[in-house]
Parts: sequence; C-alpha cells; structure tokens
Amino acid sequence: MSTIEKNAPTLKSKLNKAEIKRQSVLLIIAGLYVIYGIIFYYLPLFGWIMAFQNYKLKDGFFGSEFVGLKWFKFLFEDKTFIRILRNTLAMGVINLVATTVTAIGFAILLSEVRNMMGKKIVQTISYLPHFLSWIVVTSIVRDAFSLKGMINELLLNLKLIKEPISYFMHTKYFWPIVAISNVWKETGWNAIIYLATITAIDPSLYEAAAMDGAGRWQKIKNITLPGIRSTIIILLIMNIGNVINAGFEVQYLLGLGVLKPVSETIDIYVLNYGMANFSLGTAAGIFKTFVSMVLIFLFNFIAKKAGEERLF
Amino acid sequence: MFKKLTKSKMSGWDWAFVICNTIFLVLFCVVTLYPVLNTLAYSFTDGQEAILRNVHLLPKKFTTSAYSKVFGMQGFRRGLIVTVSRTFLASVLSLAANALLAFIISRKNFIFKRGLSLFWVITMYANGGLIPSVILMTKLHLTGTFWVYIIPGLVSAFNILVLRTYMSSLPDSYEESAQLDGAGHLTIFARIISPLCKPVYATVFLFVAVFHWNSWFDAMIYNRLKPQNTTLQYELQKLLSSLTQLNPSADSSGKVTDMTTEIQVRAAATIATMLPIICLYPFLQRYFVTGLTIGGVKE
Amino acid sequence: MKSKKIIALALACTLSVGAFAGCAKKKSDSVTDWTMIAFMAGKELNEGNEIQEELAKKTGVRIKETWNTSQDVASAVGTMIASNDLPDLIDGGNGSKMLAEAGMLVAWDDYLKKDEFKNLKEMFSDKQWELFRQADGHIYWANVFGKTYGEPKSRGHNDEAFWVQVRVLEWAGYPVIETLDEYFDLLDKYAKANPVNADGVEVVPYTALCEGWRYFCIENAPEFLDGYPNDGSVIVNLDDPEHPKIEDYNVTPTAKMYFKKLNEVYNAGIMDPEFATMDYDTYIAKLASGAVLGMCDQNWDFAQINNTFIDKGYDKLGYNYVPLGLVAEKGQTKNQWHAYADVPNVSSGIAVTTKCNDADKAFKFLNQMLDQEIHDLRFWGIKDVDYLVDENGMYYRTPEMRANWQNDAFRAKHVCNYSYLPQWGGTHRDGKNAMKPEDQETEFFATLSEPLKKAFDAYHYTSYGDFLRSEHITELGFWYPMYSHSNDMNSTTEYGAAWLKMGDCKHEWLPKVVTSKDFESDWAAYMAAYAECKPELFLEEMQKELDRRFELGK
Repeated sequence: MSTIEKNAPTLKSKLNKAEIKRQSVLLIIAGLYVIYGIIFYYLPLFGWIMAFQNYKLKDGFFGSEFVGLKWFKFLFEDKTFIRILRNTLAMGVINLVATTVTAIGFAILLSEVRNMMGKKIVQTISYLPHFLSWIVVTSIVRDAFSLKGMINELLLNLKLIKEPISYFMHTKYFWPIVAISNVWKETGWNAIIYLATITAIDPSLYEAAAMDGAGRWQKIKNITLPGIRSTIIILLIMNIGNVINAGFEVQYLLGLGVLKPVSETIDIYVLNYGMANFSLGTAAGIFKTFVSMVLIFLFNFIAKKAGEERLF
Repeated sequence: MFKKLTKSKMSGWDWAFVICNTIFLVLFCVVTLYPVLNTLAYSFTDGQEAILRNVHLLPKKFTTSAYSKVFGMQGFRRGLIVTVSRTFLASVLSLAANALLAFIISRKNFIFKRGLSLFWVITMYANGGLIPSVILMTKLHLTGTFWVYIIPGLVSAFNILVLRTYMSSLPDSYEESAQLDGAGHLTIFARIISPLCKPVYATVFLFVAVFHWNSWFDAMIYNRLKPQNTTLQYELQKLLSSLTQLNPSADSSGKVTDMTTEIQVRAAATIATMLPIICLYPFLQRYFVTGLTIGGVKE
Repeated sequence: MKSKKIIALALACTLSVGAFAGCAKKKSDSVTDWTMIAFMAGKELNEGNEIQEELAKKTGVRIKETWNTSQDVASAVGTMIASNDLPDLIDGGNGSKMLAEAGMLVAWDDYLKKDEFKNLKEMFSDKQWELFRQADGHIYWANVFGKTYGEPKSRGHNDEAFWVQVRVLEWAGYPVIETLDEYFDLLDKYAKANPVNADGVEVVPYTALCEGWRYFCIENAPEFLDGYPNDGSVIVNLDDPEHPKIEDYNVTPTAKMYFKKLNEVYNAGIMDPEFATMDYDTYIAKLASGAVLGMCDQNWDFAQINNTFIDKGYDKLGYNYVPLGLVAEKGQTKNQWHAYADVPNVSSGIAVTTKCNDADKAFKFLNQMLDQEIHDLRFWGIKDVDYLVDENGMYYRTPEMRANWQNDAFRAKHVCNYSYLPQWGGTHRDGKNAMKPEDQETEFFATLSEPLKKAFDAYHYTSYGDFLRSEHITELGFWYPMYSHSNDMNSTTEYGAAWLKMGDCKHEWLPKVVTSKDFESDWAAYMAAYAECKPELFLEEMQKELDRRFELGK
C-alpha cells in the first residue's frame, strides 16, 4: 500500500482509518494495477536519458556520452522546426474538430432513425473505411483530387470552376484534404462510442419530453446532447493531448515535394532525421509529451472551472 | 420559442427531417462504401490490369489469384491461429482488467480517485521509445513468447477512461440499495454495474479486438525469429513487401506466368482481414444500437 | 455463465497455441538449421524447397531466410541488439556498422588467411578487402553483389538512363541521340505526330518521378550528363589525377542547364503536368499504360511494367524502353552511364553473428556457396530439370523452364538462390557459360521482343549497355562508389545533418524550379536555400573519406 501513499501525498488530509478499512479491497486491487503500470509504462521512461546523451547502442544507457540539451537545441534551432510545429498543431486541431463534430452529428442523426434494419446497415457500412490502410485511402483521395479526377469533374459540371484545379500543387488545399480524408475514414468508427453512450440515456426522459410536447430538435438539444456531454468532454480532453500527434502516414503519403512546407509534421521530421539517431527521436518524444501534458492540464483545468466532467 | 407539437402526429418539419436525414445517411453510405467496393474490385482484378489503376466498382479481367496468394501463403495457418487466439484472449482479459480498474476509479468516494486517474492519463502521452521497451520485455523474458502480445497492453488508459465516464453517468440508486443489503464492492461490480455497462463493454471489446486483430509490429519486434508466434497481419505485411521485391538481377524481358501484383494482393489482404471483424460486429452491434432500458430507477 | 464459457474457450485456444509451438518439426540431425535476416524485400521459400534440400544435403546447412522491410534498418538493428535476438547470418544493410560496433559480428580476418576459404578470399582483391576493414581493424562483412568472374557477360543495363520507347527511335529512323535538346525534341515531335496510342491512351512525352527516396529520377542526372559515374551523392573530379577532388553536382552549370531545360519543356507542355504530385503507384500505372515516351530512371525501378507490356501485347508495338546515355554537350566523349567495372558497395554485406554456434562451419558454408557446382544449383537449378546442356557444353532453357523460373509459386517450392549469400556474375568457371542465366547470350536474345530486336540490329548493338555509348572503363577508381560513405550518414554528426537537410531542400525546391514561371529568380532562391543547409560540411567529410580511400588504393 506504500506505493499508493507515495503517489498521492496531497490527499492525506482525506484519509481516515475507517475509510481506508472500508475501501481496503479497492485499495489493494488499485495497488496491483499501479505496480503493473509502473513496470510496463513508467520503467521504460528511463529511456528518456537517451535524449541527453549521444546514445550509442554499443555503450548503452550508462556508457554513452552526456551532451546536455544538445538535441533539444538541434530541434529548436532548426529554422524549419517552427513551421513543422505549426503544421502539426494546425492539422491536429483541424482534424480533431472535423472528426469530432462529424462523429457526434452522425451518431445523433443515426440515433434518430427508427427503422432498426436501416440503422444497422448504415452503421455497419459507415465504419468499414476504418479498416482500410492509409495507403489504400490516400490512393483513392489522390485519384479523386487529380486533374481529371472526380472532384474536378464535379465542379466543372456544376460550373463552379472554369479550369481543373491541380489540388496537390497548391499548399492551401492540403490541410482541408487531410481533414476530409480523416473524416471519410474515421467518422463511422468514432461514432461508435457516442452511439453506445446514447443508448444509456433513460428512454423515459424522451417520453416525458414528448409529453411536454418537445420537438425533435428540443429532444436532441435537451436530452441527447446532455446525455453524451461527459463522454464528449472526456474524449475531447484526451484528444487535445493528442493534437501534437497529428500523424505521419497520410501527410507522408499525400505531401510530396512542393507541399512539404505545409505537410511536414513532427513525426515526419523524426522519421527523416531520427534515423539511427535515437537521441534526437527521444528528445522529440519528450517535447511531444511535454506539449501534451500542458494541453491536458490546461483543458482539464478549464473543464474543472466550468464544472464539467474532467479527466482527473 | 418553440411551437407546441401534438405528439401523436408527425409535423411537416418532422417529415422533412426524416426525409433529409434518410437522404443524407444514404449519401453518406455511398461515399463511405466506395473505397471498400473499390478495394473489393481491385482484389478480384488481374494484376496487370490493377497496375494501370483503372478499376472503379467492377473488377477487370476477373481472377481470384490474389486470394489464392493470400490464403496459400506459408505462414497463413499459423498466423491465423495465433491472431485468433491473441484477439480472443486479449479482448476478454483486457476488458475485465480495464472494467475493474474503471469501476474502482469511478467510485465517488474512492480515496485516490484523482491520483490514480492522473497516473494512467500520463501513460497515454509519455513513452520511453522502442529500445527501452524491448530491453524491458527481454528482461521480463517475454521476448520470443506468445504472452508478449497479451500482457504489456492489458491495461490501457484510454479504455479505462471511456469505461469510467460511462460508469459515472449511471444512477447511484442501484448501488446504494445494494450497499444497504451489505453487498461488497466486488459484488456490486459484478452484479450491479457490469450488466448496466453492456453497451460500453461491447465498445471496448471491439476496440481491443480490432487492435489485436490488426497488430503486426509487435510480432516483428518480439518474435522476429520465432515463426511459431507469427501473426496473420505480419505474414501479410511480409507478403506485400515481397511483391515489391527489387530483384538485383531484374530480367528486363521474358514471359512471366505469375501476374499477381502488389496493388491487387494488398486489396485482397485488406478484404480478407476485414471480413472476420465485419462478422463480429453484428454480435456487438445490438448492444449499442438498441436502446437499453434502465428505466425504473428512482432518482 | 456466458463469460466463463468465453474465457474457457480463449484459454483452450491459447493452450493449443502452446501445444503447436511445442511440437516443432524435428529435422534430421545431420543438417544444421540456421536463420538469416536481410533488410531487403524478398520472397520466403516453402518448407522443403527442393533445391534448398539439395543444397542442405551437399553442405549440411539449411538457411531460413527472413526479409525485413517494414521497419527502418536502424531501429530494427537497434531492437535486435537491445534484445540480443539475432539470427545466425545477417545482411545488416545500413545497420551493418552498428552491429559491428556493438560486437555482434564475427571477424572474417582469420578465415581469409586460410586456404580452406579461398573462394571467399577470391571475391575481392587485397586492396578491396581493405576497404571493408572497420575502425577497429577487422573485416566483418563482404558485399555479394556486382562482382564479375572472368569476362563480363551481362547484357542488361540495370541502372540509370534517360529511357525512350523503342517505337520512337524506329519512327525517327534510329537516330543517335546525344543531348537533352535532341532528346526532348525527338519526344516532342513524335508526340505531335502520334498524340494518341492505338488503344486511345493519350501520350505523355516525358515524366519524372519525385516521390520520396525515388526522387533520383529528377535529381541526379547532372552527375551523369557531365560524364561521371554513379558516385551517388557527389562527383569525383580527376582533372588532377594525384589529387582527386569532391564536387557538388547540384550546383554545377550543367545542373542549372538541365533544370532550365526541364522548366522549358514543362512550360511547353512536353513534360507531364502531374509529375510533381504523383506517387510511385501512379507513375508505374502511367508507364505500364504505354503512355509515357521517355523518362529518367533506374531500370530496376520500373522493370515490373514489362510484364504488363507482354500481357497487353504492348511489347509487339514497341513500347519497351531502351536506355540513352545523354551528355551535356554534343560530341562529349566523357560518358559513364553504363558501368563496365565491378562496384563493391563496402557499406554492407553478408555477415556471421556471434549468435551462430559454429562460426567455422558458417564460413565453410559461405565458402561452399561459391563452389561452381553449388553456384550452378543456386542460379541455374538442377541439370535436365531446370536447364539443358547442348553438345558444346552450353547451358540453355526451354520456354517452359524459363516460364517456371519466373513463376512465384514454382520458385517458392523449387528454386533456392540464397540471393544475399556470396555469388558471382560474369563467366562460368568452364569459360563458356555465364554464371547466371540472365547473362547467357542465348537466353537474352530468346526473350527480346521484335521491335527491340530490330533496334539492336539497326544500331548493330549486342547489349543494352551499347545504347549508352559509355566509355569502356573496366577499372574504376579505388574510392568508387562514394555513396557507400554517404549511405549510412545520419543526424548524429554535423555533416550527416547537413546531408539530410540538403536532401530535404531538394525535395522541396526541384519541383518548384521545374514548374516555375520565372526560372532565374526561383533558381536563385533555391540556391540560397540550398546554401543554408551548409553543404560544405558534407562535402568536406566526403573529401576526407575520398582522400582516405585514395591513400589506401595507392
């Protein structure tokens, strides 16, 4: 039990013998989980030492030369790093907003369908693209947005443009294309969790609202949304911590040469420069963890102030 | 404010909504179905046609050669057995482990509620990188075993938090009455909370199952030289990269009888691995499509 | 209880996995089973592969090859060292140095001294072996590719060139094309006269791939245009034979001329408007459709399209490509597009690891791989089954045998090359045949399509190399190729970081320069961005390495 106590010294004021005794089973089990977590998640963090070394495999963690903050300087002194950080955060935020809004919207619209069969079919279809690899999805996206592709054809037919646009030659189209690809691939999958939560809403609430003459929109606004509110907030906070991981596959596969100024993310940078340089890769990892934690604490704090469900 | 609607009849707005919603969802289906059908078409297309990337909804020069390549590969059977076992075992164990922890954290008056949550939240964003993990697994003698697939990922912060959020939103009344009856924590977890959590359990089960079904990186890292512990996805990965083989003495001309190409096999592999998950889905789906009746609880 | 049933079922599943693992097949004790990893794409053999069993009978060793391409080599090697989980044999690719430094490889030195291992020794000259020596004074690996025994026999050109569809040459009456101007002029004229293929596909006169590591298709032509061999990352200037000098081909006048020409043809609509944004699959699709008249590429990068051509009958229409060895100025004789000399890449090769329980036996096995009988078995197959011998002792194959050897399923159960173990090209030890079937004259001409044959006849050429009109230099400088040094550079060194940044800069700017509406100012901006990457750090290091190798070679 000592592990737990060390972990949360600030909570000591709450402790009293009777409460500990009452919760003893829970505390023992939680303690086992903490031990597990320390072994499998916290012990490997020892590897962070690499970020402050010229890590060489032959010398290991203890024999490698210490170089202080050299690798952090390498990152921050690189002129392109600010650009890369901007790309990462921008795409992270755009994708987060786009996929969250569409997933919630889709879940709500689907939950309004009364035909069971139709509901099941739509949902099954909607989450299928999740299983396609990015290489498959990007090749279709590339075709669709090519000079003679579907999108150009559609816009030409609708007389919205006069000449086909070469979307991948212009940097301004890149972020939207990445967002669209993400929405396309993940909306149905992301909606699963919201659908599951919607089912937990007490049906009597809807009945009561109907009695009061509430319309569809009122029911969505006053019952469904509040019902999934805590899930939305928890997922949102968790995902905000992940905006720094805007990914690399889709950007890597779609962002060739000319698009580099807008497509390169931290992960791609690490892929290019961290090859055989474990120290640099680790330094970038620490930086990402730092950004994530700052964001998490910030938004957790905001949620707390707003009296909402929070992460911890 | 809003007009009062009669509950027995659907208003014009309601009809408009239903129609628009239906049209929208149908369109949505068409758009999301396209890449899947496209992949399906490629998987049945002759390799030399596939290379021209001209296939849309229907295969050209129909052939099943890509599937015979996928199902006929050396490690297919072994990989399938391992993948099915790990998916099943890991999903069940992970769900149990995560649910129990989530239950503990969701107890309103649990002493370390906040500390324990933070402890797991940190694990989502901090990791030491590949090399330290490999060293750890080797020290724990997990490298080269089947258990390296199950044990390290057993508890995951994401799933705990999803489960916890759901559990906290359940009404307290059930639990309180059980407590009055003298039920212990674990009884409450097993008998009261868990049955109410079916939708979210199904969700987490699906997440874990899909993750394990698609895993190949751990097979490569920890069982590189142990073909008996290979996974299906790792075998497919190897099959795909073998098709892009850059033969050091590539023959520039000459009749080739084997016409399968990477694009075609990639499509077949995608379809082949999607199928079992699609089959699993309907069993889980009823838990999160059909509403759960938890009425009757006195608030 | 349902959940109990499920758990019981899962446990049963798992136990069955364990049981399976327990009863791994027992093989006869006389054969040693070893594992091998190469960080390259390759096809795994079926268990009980016929030639593999034959080789096992003769050598007492059976190798299980594993191909590893799903992870970058450095982290793969890193994890293998960290978990001490190594195969018995390994081709560590760019991770070879890491393996040696970590003490995971067995030194070759003692073996190379013994007569027993003379086949291995014979692979390189003493001087060449020195190039493989690492900083700690030992040799740990030997590269197995690009080595010629006796007379060269190869008729292919597996490397880089400006390619042109043979029908274009036929249409123009088989002219000799020397310069970029002539080349693009020819493509343009042909495309104007024949804008659409027989099956309605629109012709693309020229395209260039710029995706990822394959951007060499647009990037390194200036090096060749100036008549230098493929040193990869730099030019080695030999104007003063005593003091060879490293030069940067990215900033030469020829480089500017070449990109200006590309810019001109791009704006004239001769160059594919989608060149800058297509990925490899799209590129291959374009080539395979027969639409592209010309491009610059390495042959191995696009050779796969030949299958489609045969399948669609395009080979009979003259869509197959032949290489052209273009030069910067008309009449320039300095030309080394085609390498007639052997190119040992000293940065990687086959190695024996410390995990191997019997290193002596391993080296004996590697040595045996070069015995003529074993070598024939690996590359020609079993006599009378995979090849026939005529009355003059020449090896040949029937069309059926040829087809078999191109079939994956057949190969997996019958053929065993051990393609990353020591091997020879060139002439068979009998002095008549070729070491490998693809170099055998009869095999080569038997597989040429009609339009290709006509072109070979019209020019009086007997090999693809002839098309390139390269100087017949059979011995390259001892330093060659310099890319064996730049290949394993990484950001842990300043020059390595500079090298990576240069690559990044070119990826971004080359397409911009080519598609520019104002070439001069964009070129200047590119040069400024390039200078910021500090290429001088990289070039200094290359000069150092060149000097070192030059001294070794004296």
